[in-house]
Amino acid sequence: MPFAPEDQELIDGFLTETTELLDKLDDDLVTLEKSPSDMELLNGIFRSIHTVKGASSFLGFDLLVKVTHKTEDVLNRLRKGELVVNPEIMDVILEAVDLVKVLVGDIKAGEIVEREIDGTVTKLLPLLSEGAGEATVLAAPQQVVLAAASAEEPPAEAGEASSCSVQPTKEKAPSPRPAAPPAVAPGKELKAKPEDLTDSSTVRIDVKRIDDLMNQVGELVLERNRMLQLDSDLRSGADMNRFAEEFGKLAKRLNFVTSEVQMQVLKIRMIPVEKVFKKFPRIVRNLARELGKEVELHLFGEETELDRSVVDEIGDPLTHLIRNAMDHGVEMPEERAAAGKSRCGTIVLSAAHEGNQIVISIKDDGKGIDPDKVAAKAVDKGLVTQAQLANMGTREILDLIFLPGFSTKEVTTDLSGRGVGMDVVRTNIKKLNGIIEIRTELGHGSEFVLRLPLTLAIIQSLLVDVEGEIYSIPLAAVFETLRVEMKEFHTVGGQEVLKLRDSVLPLVRLERVFSVNHTYANDVSCYVVVVGVAEKRVGVIVSRLLGQQEVAIKSLGKYLANVPGIAGSTILGDGRVALIVDPVGLVEGNEGGSAGR
Amino acid sequence: MEIVRESSSDNTGELIQLVSFMLGEEEFGVDVLKVREIIRMPEITRVPNTPHYVEGVINLRGKVIPVMSMRNRFGLEQREWDKQTRIMVMEVDSELMGFIVDSVSEVIRISEQEIQPPPAVVSTGVDHECLSGIVSQRERLLVLLDLEKVSSKEDRMLLSM
Repeated sequence: MPFAPEDQELIDGFLTETTELLDKLDDDLVTLEKSPSDMELLNGIFRSIHTVKGASSFLGFDLLVKVTHKTEDVLNRLRKGELVVNPEIMDVILEAVDLVKVLVGDIKAGEIVEREIDGTVTKLLPLLSEGAGEATVLAAPQQVVLAAASAEEPPAEAGEASSCSVQPTKEKAPSPRPAAPPAVAPGKELKAKPEDLTDSSTVRIDVKRIDDLMNQVGELVLERNRMLQLDSDLRSGADMNRFAEEFGKLAKRLNFVTSEVQMQVLKIRMIPVEKVFKKFPRIVRNLARELGKEVELHLFGEETELDRSVVDEIGDPLTHLIRNAMDHGVEMPEERAAAGKSRCGTIVLSAAHEGNQIVISIKDDGKGIDPDKVAAKAVDKGLVTQAQLANMGTREILDLIFLPGFSTKEVTTDLSGRGVGMDVVRTNIKKLNGIIEIRTELGHGSEFVLRLPLTLAIIQSLLVDVEGEIYSIPLAAVFETLRVEMKEFHTVGGQEVLKLRDSVLPLVRLERVFSVNHTYANDVSCYVVVVGVAEKRVGVIVSRLLGQQEVAIKSLGKYLANVPGIAGSTILGDGRVALIVDPVGLVEGNEGGSAGR
Repeated sequence: MEIVRESSSDNTGELIQLVSFMLGEEEFGVDVLKVREIIRMPEITRVPNTPHYVEGVINLRGKVIPVMSMRNRFGLEQREWDKQTRIMVMEVDSELMGFIVDSVSEVIRISEQEIQPPPAVVSTGVDHECLSGIVSQRERLLVLLDLEKVSSKEDRMLLSM
């Protein structure tokens, strides 16, 4: 059913508001579960639902009204103290909120589909009857009864289970519904993913930021005029000395104004990482219930801002890592108690700025990753040979979990352990020019650290000359540069190395990797740029260093998207194109090369 | 002009415009709507680890686009670039891409009916699947190219490995 165009504006407003309310709701509900006595929070949730109900009844979205109305009633009883918040009630409320999201999603898509909502509504109903309070208290013993009952009628239950993939909590934690008719298939109607509501095609920007930008653009126009004036002066034969002086001043001002504009635009593109973080409390809660684990999620640094393009991309990798931490990291409560830890596991998700990088860490206090198990598994799967393994340090072994097709869990679950997760995580992070590190301590937990650039558009880079060709190396990956005499190089097992202080640095000749023709006469000395990814260091041999520059990254397009060792390109001051080296590719290419030999 | 009048008067087939260009002794044509612009040779930055016919990338007013040599792509002998050498910037799969050709001749109009299916064997090394047809007009023979095939999917697969 398409909407009349005159309503569209109203509907758009409704959608924006509702989406924001619903986004917040998940988080609030999970918080409420932890602190059921927080009346203010409960009132806030009640108001949100009430607002959605009011607006949808005004616009005539009947299904939405029905669901929100019942949810509101339940919340009202909670508010009055007739019901007490417990996980079972929360399951039902969350399910209802999910349903609301699906319905709102339909409206957003411009099509109202007749959805079956009775399942969820029926679950809400018993909570409204007078005896509901007692029923929830009795929930635990009833679960056993229900489980027994379900064993007696396997066909119906099995059918149900397969159809309600979105609501997997249902089976393990049936809601107390003594009066509910068995014919209803709860959760069945939730086919669409409720998480897809948020979109980032529209932005809300502080008016002040736009005003600032306008001011800067005004100055830019002034400088442009000044430049045109200088140009015409020069043509009409102005004094060269004066011109040079004026031009110098202009260049300085232009430089200043441009970087200001750049800053402003960058700021406009920045959004808090909270946008991604806020969906995790809900995910963690659901997973914890599903896995039968007790997990607490702590969020830090949600206000850290980063580029919207980065925010859009990190959601999936983070979800994977959180799921992994829940599934593989944190142990079952009994196991934890036996190991002398508190029954409840902790996952800490934090974000912070570090230079012009953002560092996101996912840390759990679970059992940690056992390098021996990882190694055994990798050999088992044929990913590495014993001989290769013998040459690997702990770090390299841990890195094996990023290989495609690796999974340490014996039984794969539908959460994680499909053997694609970590592989995908690393690919996604690499796409963002980021790096991922693992820190783990057996028995005490593991930490995954993501380092991402603040923006994908402009980076600091080191320009180098390789036999006459100019390449740009992202400065974030450069640790130091050295001028070295060629005779200081050693060869170990066919691999050129350099003794740097007390470590041995493997070397990569860029001219060989990129097959550049020799143009310079044989130098006795050259420069070594030490680049590093995570703990790995590689010395890149270049002919000359040209200096540090801020460069705007230009994509090479689809056709050249996957050139090995090249991450992108940029345009230099003189209009020439310089290629940006992919440090990760270099470091890993070097590894692959030495392993093959 | 004569040709145009002829073709438009004696048939009802749709008129299409072609940009014709030279590679060695042969003349080729591509649909004018696919051609964004025709430019002289700018400085080309070589991209390592790419097939030999990918010359590199150029800066097209702030946009970096790949450029491939048609001669190398079709296995013709290499030739020094001269004053006639041009890059035809075309839209392939909704992305811009440059193709280096010996020279660009003109824009001609033909009727669709004049296009014949390509012959089974072509003299030069042009891959048969890149051809979409042949236009023969008096003493002139024009080979129509399918650019999507020239920068084919297989190439991209090769590159992505």
